[in-house]
Amino acid sequence: MKNIGIVVATALLLAAGGVAAQAPNDAQIAHIVVTANQVDIDAGKLAEKMGSTKDVRDFGKQMVTDHSGVNKQAVALVTKLKVKPEDNPTSQSLKSGGEANLKNLKTLKGNAFDKAYIDHEVAYHEQVLDAVDKTLLPSAKNEELKALITKVRPAFVAHLEHAKMLQSKM
Amino acid sequence: MRTRTQRLALALICAGALFPGAATYAPGTAGGASAGKPATHSVVIDGLKYDPETLTVKRGETVIWTNKDPFPHTVTAQGKFDSHDIAAGGSWKYVARTAGEYSYICTLHPNMKGMLRVE
Repeated sequence: MKNIGIVVATALLLAAGGVAAQAPNDAQIAHIVVTANQVDIDAGKLAEKMGSTKDVRDFGKQMVTDHSGVNKQAVALVTKLKVKPEDNPTSQSLKSGGEANLKNLKTLKGNAFDKAYIDHEVAYHEQVLDAVDKTLLPSAKNEELKALITKVRPAFVAHLEHAKMLQSKM
Repeated sequence: MRTRTQRLALALICAGALFPGAATYAPGTAGGASAGKPATHSVVIDGLKYDPETLTVKRGETVIWTNKDPFPHTVTAQGKFDSHDIAAGGSWKYVARTAGEYSYICTLHPNMKGMLRVE
């Protein structure tokens, strides 16, 4: 479990570290937003099927719904702004971290699955919030892109609190 | 047999019934006594906030919560009222019949808090 936390942390540290080296541009930020949401949607879909308790399955389902909603809006915005999301090292790390998480989760069942999934959700949302505050918001130039990230940020806080609550009951 | 005038009057009354509160459907509208009809109030859910966060209404008045976020929310005062999921872009209407102070949350995002006061 700790390893997965480290993968996520590394991916987002790259994002944070990027500030010093080179802040991501809006096209890259849009790509990071969409990728970060997609990674959590994919994990949520698996938890909807594999979660051993209703709480875990419901949480997974909500992650799919909420993060899909955010992505729909993000895609609508970049389409309107005529910005083409641009792949970048942070997105790539998020993607490979997400794939490693899914690979690990697929080997688990029952309580072990629940715990690994929820632990990862806690670590993931903490790191995403960190990246939002330290990298994405300070770097975003377009006001509408900034507004969208600001608007959905409290949802990530709610998800983190929810995941921590589930974690404390395990 | 109704006369043509009577029928026209009836039709107009029915049309009015189809659009209750149409004249008073504005954010923060209070009273509504002038129309002799209970007012309708609006709460907008946007960026995981209820706006206004605290709303005071009179008994019999209607509150409509509209969800402008891209995912569902609820308006839930445990044991009192519960919208269940209000879809993105959707809304939920509640007629406040009992006086009291009702603090409510979104069960999906419990960091969202609101208050409905019914006088």
